Amino acid sequence: MNDRPDDPEIPLEPFPMAIPASPFPPLEGEVAEPYLEDPAADPPSDWIEAADAHDLPTAPEPELVSNPLVALGRFAFPPGSPPDEEGVAARDRRWTSRIIVVATVFLLIFNAVSIQNWSRQQAPGWVTTTVRRLADVWAEQIAQLGADQPRQALRDGYEASRDAEWAGS
Amino acid sequence: MLFPTLAFGVFFLFVYFTAWSLDRENGRRKLFLLLASWFFYAQWDWRFVGLLIASAILNWGVAVLIDRSDAQGRRKWLVGLGVACNLLILGFFKYYGFFVEQAGDLLTRFGWERDLPLLQIVLPVGISFFTFQGISYVVDVHRGKTPVAKSLLDVMLLMSFFPHLVAGPIVRASDLLPQFDRAPRLTREMATHGLLLICWGLFKKTVIASELSTRLVDPVFFDPSSYGALDLLAAVYGYAVQIYCDFSAYSDMAIGIAALLGYSFPRNFDQPYRASSMQDFWRRWHISLSSWLRDYLYVPLGGGKKGLIRSCLNVFITMLLGGLWHGAAWTFVAWGALHGGVQVVERLGRSVIGEGKGPPAWLGVLVTFHIVCLGWILFRAETFPMAMEVLNGLGRFEAATLVTPFLLTLIVGGLAMHWLPPRAIEGISTWLKPAPSLTMGLLVGAAILLVEAVRPDGVAPFIYFQF
Repeated sequence: MNDRPDDPEIPLEPFPMAIPASPFPPLEGEVAEPYLEDPAADPPSDWIEAADAHDLPTAPEPELVSNPLVALGRFAFPPGSPPDEEGVAARDRRWTSRIIVVATVFLLIFNAVSIQNWSRQQAPGWVTTTVRRLADVWAEQIAQLGADQPRQALRDGYEASRDAEWAGS
Repeated sequence: MLFPTLAFGVFFLFVYFTAWSLDRENGRRKLFLLLASWFFYAQWDWRFVGLLIASAILNWGVAVLIDRSDAQGRRKWLVGLGVACNLLILGFFKYYGFFVEQAGDLLTRFGWERDLPLLQIVLPVGISFFTFQGISYVVDVHRGKTPVAKSLLDVMLLMSFFPHLVAGPIVRASDLLPQFDRAPRLTREMATHGLLLICWGLFKKTVIASELSTRLVDPVFFDPSSYGALDLLAAVYGYAVQIYCDFSAYSDMAIGIAALLGYSFPRNFDQPYRASSMQDFWRRWHISLSSWLRDYLYVPLGGGKKGLIRSCLNVFITMLLGGLWHGAAWTFVAWGALHGGVQVVERLGRSVIGEGKGPPAWLGVLVTFHIVCLGWILFRAETFPMAMEVLNGLGRFEAATLVTPFLLTLIVGGLAMHWLPPRAIEGISTWLKPAPSLTMGLLVGAAILLVEAVRPDGVAPFIYFQF
């Protein structure tokens, strides 16, 4: 219930009957809003007096729109169009890149000692010193998780077989 | 920057991701690969990047002039000029010291001793490879086998592309220039094959070749007189395996790296120690060089079209110069002469006995392998006296001091890999191709971890870098 019935700013109807004009200038190329046009004006007639009804174009055949549910059949969704050559190439490239990334991460975790060894062999410099310190910290942290054990086990086994002598010697 | 190092790994990761991010702009991609190749080459000696550029400009210019010229005489003159310039570059950097030294010795022998201008010339790494590539490009344009390159950039990249730059394979213009025309495609086949070749190459170089080199071959060839027949024999067989694993590993990794960047290189090795004749050996060993020698030396000399004697002479000259290509030393010339001489004997034998009526295949393989090993003694020994010391020591029976079960396993394994199915890597890559990327990534990571865990610290340069 409106407790201020005399207030002219409050419309009596539940919704405003007319939209006030926009205070902003119209945008370039903006078309008039249809609901603001005169609703009483009729559209121009296309009636041709001399025409025989049989000459008039008939309504266009309705397009055969298959029911998606019928088209789907037993599939949950329609199969996508087969990828073109470019699409296959891009997919294979992504596949290869993922392999390289996975292998790199794998080696960063399980082969951290190699980075440490390599950095120690480099001539001292800003970059190599930074890399060496980072590699030292990384190798130490990874070793705490036991990720250096597979490499060490391989190394131990290899050295044992390498240093083996002939029986009796 | 050697392939089996962490520095190269980081370099390659950067090149791989940047190159594929430019795959829609082939020109920029090629320019980036060229700059990366120059950076790679500059890690040895940045001054020789200029030589690489000059050589590419020379070959590009001569090829363009040949292409624009209609007069046959002028074209011949131009191709001669191009070949001569390439040989001049190679001769100056690689053979100047050798020939001046020989000339000095000769003059002294005749009593005309002179102080000839000896220069300490640093040998640019890979010069034999990129000059041969330049020669093949100019000659192929002259012969009409290859259209002239569309731009200087293509020729520069052809000669400087880092996977093959320092130790081959010698990739010809007809193989690579068409691939530069459009942005390359990377297929699963290429990627799987490339990754397997890289892992296999790493294992051959850093484990088999390195262990044999440091524990057996180097000590024995350093002082052959200190070892008996068993150690010397093991060292000779070991060197045969070492040089194969070293050089074929480089080729495998080069082919694999190029494949990951979308380019296809020709095969360079095909199980050479199962060759049943010397001719067969050269169809399996360093194929890009042997086919180069055939097309640009043996054929222009007349090939086999001018009768048996002439063909024998041609093959002998070809192998002799092939030996000299490997290094400026008489031991390499003798090595080439041995290979040429055996091929001459084989040809004469075939003409007398008839084609296909020789000894059984297994005997051919055995004899060929041992002749090749004899050649490796000349190849490895720094001087003739040292080679003779090794040969004499083979008759000195003493207990082996260096050969361990491990080294014997490496030698036997290195030879046994020649009897694997001929296209084993291709077969495995076809089998692995459908694997998910995570599985493949873990497999590749595990394979590299295995190699990294067992390889000796540090890595020796590839043997063929010196050539």
